[in-house]
Amino acid sequence: MFEMPSGAEIQSIISILKGGAGFFVPEIYLSALFMVLIILDLVTGRKNARFLAAVTIAGLVGSLYYIFKQQAMPDTEFFFGMYALDRFGIFFKYFFVASGILAVLLTVIDDQLKKHESGMGEYYALLVAMVVGMMMMASSTDLLMMFLAMELVSLSAYAMTGYLKRDPRSSEAALKYLVYGAVSSGMLLYGFSLLYGMTAQTNLTRIAMVLAAHGYDPLVMIMAVLLIMAGLGYKMGAVPFHFWSPDVYEGAPTPVTAYLSVGSKAAGFAMLMRFFFVAVPHGMDMYVSPLHIDWLMILMLVSAASMIYGNVVAIWQKNVKRLLAYSSIAHAGYLLLGIITMDQLGTQSVLVYLASYLLMNYGAFYVVILIANRTGSENLDDYRGLGKKMPLAGAALTVFLISLVGLPPTFGFIGKLMIFSALLSKGSLFMWLALIGILTSVISLYYYMLIPLNMYLRESERPEEGVVETGMGAKLVTATLMILTLYFGLFFQPIANYAKYSSVLFGAFLN
Amino acid sequence: MDQTLSGFGTVFVFLVLGIVFVAGGYLTARMLRPSRPNPEKNSTYECGEPAVGSAWVKFNIRFYVVALIFIIFDVEVVFLYPWATVFKPLGPFALVEVLIFAGILALGLIYAWVKGDLDWVRPTPNIPKMPEMPNRRIGKANG
Repeated sequence: MFEMPSGAEIQSIISILKGGAGFFVPEIYLSALFMVLIILDLVTGRKNARFLAAVTIAGLVGSLYYIFKQQAMPDTEFFFGMYALDRFGIFFKYFFVASGILAVLLTVIDDQLKKHESGMGEYYALLVAMVVGMMMMASSTDLLMMFLAMELVSLSAYAMTGYLKRDPRSSEAALKYLVYGAVSSGMLLYGFSLLYGMTAQTNLTRIAMVLAAHGYDPLVMIMAVLLIMAGLGYKMGAVPFHFWSPDVYEGAPTPVTAYLSVGSKAAGFAMLMRFFFVAVPHGMDMYVSPLHIDWLMILMLVSAASMIYGNVVAIWQKNVKRLLAYSSIAHAGYLLLGIITMDQLGTQSVLVYLASYLLMNYGAFYVVILIANRTGSENLDDYRGLGKKMPLAGAALTVFLISLVGLPPTFGFIGKLMIFSALLSKGSLFMWLALIGILTSVISLYYYMLIPLNMYLRESERPEEGVVETGMGAKLVTATLMILTLYFGLFFQPIANYAKYSSVLFGAFLN
Repeated sequence: MDQTLSGFGTVFVFLVLGIVFVAGGYLTARMLRPSRPNPEKNSTYECGEPAVGSAWVKFNIRFYVVALIFIIFDVEVVFLYPWATVFKPLGPFALVEVLIFAGILALGLIYAWVKGDLDWVRPTPNIPKMPEMPNRRIGKANG
């Protein structure tokens, strides 16, 4: 069966791999950083959390240089078509490095993790591993590579969720995350195998070619797409694959919650876009795609369900972390709206929305940590009167929440505006979805504003306490995030342009 | 396309033959063997020792750590073996690559070692809430 390859063949394979490695530098660099962190953790002993955090941030910032160098390279597929270097991937590489850096900043101020008894070495190493995994999720063009990348992200995420070993809530969250994750990985893999069974290809472009040339069985196709959608929907936290997210977001250490809700969600979206736009063919006519597969309808239903469920259930939440978990389900629904349009404008709007989500969600969680450090809880009732005691944090949280609602003059408003305008530019076809989106945004106004309401208009039970000082660094980060959220709300053109530039790739497939 | 189909056909034939083989074995045994059950025979087989207690005992977490480390090196061998068979035409580049690969895995072992995950008898119990497991049980779980 298996013939030994000749020397010349092997040499040519090796030279292809060597050539591909040149396009893979940021990932290799970050993998090396991962190992450096582990070695440093072993060498430096117990009390090294600050040192490791500094190394992690320095390393992540360093990787920006290698990503920047990639911008000059031409779009290409390498490693036998398993991996791509393109503008879309580069946008997400920047995004994930930024989210990694912010996650470290959140970790540094978190009191719970500060007190962790067995050190933070594994934590920072896993954080970097997750950045690599998410980059690979955004750039993989092969079913096997996609699965591998997703597992790398998932496994790191499970361990980080359960990092507070002594906290039963954290362990419970990790176990639930693991069990749901295992099931959804299995579904994804099953979907992939069906797709492979139909086409005998694992490369996304070739799958599309074979499907177009040889046809397909509609029943098997819809089955495969549904299963893959389930696997990806789990990463994105979209209804009906969201059941893990409230418990996991509440139980996990807060920096991890923020990291999961931004980083791994965005990675899921990147993968979904690449997969659906490239592998599953479709035409301009929305209802009669060349394959007569109405996966668009599936996405529409998932999106509508996520918006309605996330926003409505959030109303009754008493725990702020849980509230933000449900809001992140709702945001998955809004992001899906941009994908449903299936054109460059829609892709661009998703990228802008993700950028705004990065700032405002990390910002909100940052302040939640600052407050939890003080009050020891994330309950809504404990936020009473905090606006006067923590003036900067209170003001910043209000800005982030306004941005999450999508009101001007914040970045969140720009993101939502772009998504809805992309949707409405398709005519009346998606009017009902836009209506749901706008109505649920109004609902979200209510529950987001409960937090400032408690902070400013209700009196604290302990009014005798004066103004609480947070550290200088924490103040700086809070203020920076707040100013950026407002700044990009007014001067969004650079980001919008860069997102447009990054979404060009799919223009070729979509138009 | 034809080649692929025949490939799947082979798998199918294997599947059918496998089912027939196992089912045939059970069926023949059922027809030939005498049926004289007693409590001894009906009890769970635990390496020939009498079964003690329920199967739902808590396993010591250290078994998993050791199993994981074992799997790492198991997989390493799986990769090293095909590499060794084509080592000659691969040249020095492949040697460096495999050294990196083995080095990464060795780092994992060193990590587990330094963090004390390889010490079977810990100086202090790491999880105070968990009751100390009787040695006999550990031996059982192992066997």
